[in-house]
Amino acid sequence: ADAAARFDAFTSGLQGLDGRFVQRVFDANGQLNEVSSGRVALKAPRQFRWEYERPYPQLIVADGDHVWIFDPDLEQVTVRNQSHEEQGSPLAALIDPGELHRQFDIAEGGEKDGLDWLVLTPKKAEDAQFASARLGFDSDGLKRMSLEDALGQRTEVVFEQWRRNPDFAAGHFRFVPPAGVDVIGEVGEGAQAFPIED
Amino acid sequence: CAPTPARRAPDAALLAAQAAREATLAGMPAWALTGRIAVSDGRDGGSGRIDWFQDGDDFDIRLSAPVSRQSWRLLRRGGVVRLEGLDGGPREGDDPQRLLWEATGWLIPVEALAAWVRGARAPGAAALEFGPEGLPALLLQHDWRVEYRLWDAAAAPPRPLRVFASRGDARVRLTVDRWDWPAPDVSARP
Repeated sequence: ADAAARFDAFTSGLQGLDGRFVQRVFDANGQLNEVSSGRVALKAPRQFRWEYERPYPQLIVADGDHVWIFDPDLEQVTVRNQSHEEQGSPLAALIDPGELHRQFDIAEGGEKDGLDWLVLTPKKAEDAQFASARLGFDSDGLKRMSLEDALGQRTEVVFEQWRRNPDFAAGHFRFVPPAGVDVIGEVGEGAQAFPIED
Repeated sequence: CAPTPARRAPDAALLAAQAAREATLAGMPAWALTGRIAVSDGRDGGSGRIDWFQDGDDFDIRLSAPVSRQSWRLLRRGGVVRLEGLDGGPREGDDPQRLLWEATGWLIPVEALAAWVRGARAPGAAALEFGPEGLPALLLQHDWRVEYRLWDAAAAPPRPLRVFASRGDARVRLTVDRWDWPAPDVSARP
């Protein structure tokens, strides 16, 4: 099957996703720089939660209006508006497939490592945090994501144990800074026109 | 925030032990650390991964903050300071703190921090308070307040793992994930 067909099968009727990931970051000359792992969750239309557990805790929550980054070791929270055209990662396109075609030029990447690959090139390079992205699919759906940024740094993410349309706990995509931490960045009013019901 | 350990006013013995540690560190001019740093002025700022290589007065400090694209590299070789990786191309100067501040708005007391992050005083007047294990808990120097939140006390000499520095609204918080420095000398190892 070609990757586009696997993408359509995986995303049809998908409103939410929860799973585990292992992420490897390679520097421009291919040297492994960092390995991290944790949980990732997505909820239509634009909410996501990356929970890094190892090598150190870090939490990234996008509640639809703002993106919160919490470093417990540094006792710091960074917050910024979640702008609409922001391309956090192509993962967001999984729960909003229309976005994929709006934000990326899509090409078949053929079969490699037992996966069928989609190659994504951001249409608006200046907004993108990466120069190119590739999504690898097997019969169960999305297995790997590979991102390369303008400096040649490559991020490889392997996903496991996907649960489709789980019922998330209330507040799973909310973030309230704990007492005493340093909060930097502005909490502007909601940047979005359409409300996020919870 | 985190409960700070009970602090002990410096007495002769504690200060002597501190001076001994600083002498050991002076004998180990080459070191490196990998960790995370958060810098803020109370409203704005950023954080990222930091790789810091130091040899005497020369250093090579790399900050990677891919998400916010605030990555930079600050080097000093033979007195010449160079800042690379930012829009507008490389910059050169002789004061690393000012060069970084002018280019990024980040206030990092680079030269003093090179001593503080190892648990040593920078040159100049300083006041110290010690924790229960006899290691620095608070260091006041150059108008900065440096809190040692976590130590690897088992290392020889002991090494700080979490250093929170502040001056007014300015904050520099460093958590060390890995230290690389040569053993003082083989005979000193337990």
